[in-house]
Amino acid sequence: MPGGRRMEAATTPDEASPRSGAPIRLFLHQAWRRLLRAAGVATWVMVIAFCLIRLAPGDPVLARLGPEADPVAIDKLRRDLRLDVDPFTQFAEYGWGLLHGSLGTSIETQRAVIDIILESLPVTLWIIAVTILLAIAMSVPIALYVAQTRRSAVPYLFRASTSVLLAIPAFFTALIGLIVFGLHYEIAPIIGYQPGFPANLRFLWLPALVICTHLVPVLSRVLHSSIVETMGEEFVETGIIRGIGRPRFYWLYLLKPSLAPTVVLLSYMVGVMIGSTVIIETIFSLPGIGRSLVGAVISRDYPLVQGCVLVFGLFVVGVGVVGDILANWLDPRVGLS
Amino acid sequence: MTAVALEATTASDGNTAGRVGIRVGAAMLGAMLLAGLLVPLLSEYHPNELIAVPLQPPSLQFLFGTDQLGRDVFTRVFSAVYRDLGVAFLGVSIPLVTGTAVGVLLSVSTSRVLVAFVTSLIDAINALPLLVLAIALIALFGPGLQSIIIVLAMTNWARYARIARTRAMLVKQQAYIEAARLQGYPAWRILLRHFLPNVSSETIAYGLSDFILVIMLISGLSYLTLGAAPPTAEWGAMMSEGRPFVQDAWWMTIFPGLALCWAGISLSFITEGLSRRERGGP
Repeated sequence: MPGGRRMEAATTPDEASPRSGAPIRLFLHQAWRRLLRAAGVATWVMVIAFCLIRLAPGDPVLARLGPEADPVAIDKLRRDLRLDVDPFTQFAEYGWGLLHGSLGTSIETQRAVIDIILESLPVTLWIIAVTILLAIAMSVPIALYVAQTRRSAVPYLFRASTSVLLAIPAFFTALIGLIVFGLHYEIAPIIGYQPGFPANLRFLWLPALVICTHLVPVLSRVLHSSIVETMGEEFVETGIIRGIGRPRFYWLYLLKPSLAPTVVLLSYMVGVMIGSTVIIETIFSLPGIGRSLVGAVISRDYPLVQGCVLVFGLFVVGVGVVGDILANWLDPRVGLS
Repeated sequence: MTAVALEATTASDGNTAGRVGIRVGAAMLGAMLLAGLLVPLLSEYHPNELIAVPLQPPSLQFLFGTDQLGRDVFTRVFSAVYRDLGVAFLGVSIPLVTGTAVGVLLSVSTSRVLVAFVTSLIDAINALPLLVLAIALIALFGPGLQSIIIVLAMTNWARYARIARTRAMLVKQQAYIEAARLQGYPAWRILLRHFLPNVSSETIAYGLSDFILVIMLISGLSYLTLGAAPPTAEWGAMMSEGRPFVQDAWWMTIFPGLALCWAGISLSFITEGLSRRERGGP
């Protein structure tokens, strides 16, 4: 019944965004501008990653090899790192390499940096994916409950418990989790990793849960306050009066109009999260990109450090773009600039 | 609806709850600062002295047990208070000052090229996770608490600068700035007496919540053996030393961790209370 569907659509919150003609062009225009801005930031991230080695106070080569190193070895490493030519040539070579998908060679293992990263990145992406799914599965019910409850103590309890959770460092929670679930109950493996779904879930659930102790408080708070704001809108009252079915009501009237700020925040939080995966991967000995970074820093493997930083930065910039565009699609009132 | 009821009940208690939060947080923080001062003074053990049988569980003699080298964990945990909080204070205050200054100057700068340059640098630094950038820079400066302070001074200012700039752009349009200019005050006076107080209230508020993040960053880096090196008594480093013994000697990791949580929770109560008092509701 096409006619009936349209009538119904006109009374739901979706009505605010008839996706046809001019709005689509506006959307594309805004998305394009957002992409351009992201490209600018990505270029800067590239420059920062490039400068990392060159910023070193003193000589990075000497710092790695020690002051009493063999001059021949020093010369060789300097040539391998291309530190013997002027910075502009270095930057040109670096950019040229990037265009060809090359990030240099690791000093420690003599392997191509891009190979090391491509090997470890999937593990990190899996951690993030499982964490996000868990976090959404927990935040949405919590936020809906706190927003709708009539008990006045609940919002306070919610507020207090979330701020306590946020003040507990993730690596402490991780250690407690290891002691309780890994050593005492032995339901979480404390070492090793097995790639491939679903076998890897056995290794990922505890790390993901640990990151969730920081992600869920933030997400549920923002979702809670935007649901409370949505509940004041007239279309919600209309929905109640018209007697819309529960699942439909929750999704179309309460959640969908409230999701946009949460999505923006989530994409920002993924950036923060990818930082905390560095520590979490080390604690749970998961072979992700964060552990590669820590290992590279400890062994002063500069090309690998540079490659990891670049990938982290590009990932965060990319997720930010996706988040903003998704939020704009969910709620066109959210601008893309 | 529920929303209305909710707002009505919370707005009136917002102030009281805020004040309670600030008091509880300040009491917790004060107690910790006091213990950090008294315990190392009164304790019969030195934090780095090997005085007992290693890996003893908590007892009346050694309240938090002893570590793998036979040092008293209780003395070590409390002698780390001023080290951890002090480094965090520097790690917050230096970026707070430079970031606020950069933000204010950006908002009044007339050079479009300079503004575009610095703004995109700020965007790029903020695009990288702070921990990742800090770890990468430590590869250059070498591990240590000093390098953490340098690294934070180099990176964290960008977050303050963004906040300060946004705020200063609003301040710039206020009538009192116009009035000060018309009265013929020199530029430095307008910046110091009119811009700074109005902008810094915002960045200081962010600095308070940033304090918690920075404490976690410092101890996290030390946990990754990139910060304080043994035998320094620092919570993250102590937890990292206790990690291999966690199965038998849980007290080596749990007590420094609890100290870290105590500091974080007390600060979060204070910031939470302050922000609630300002807005009057949760």
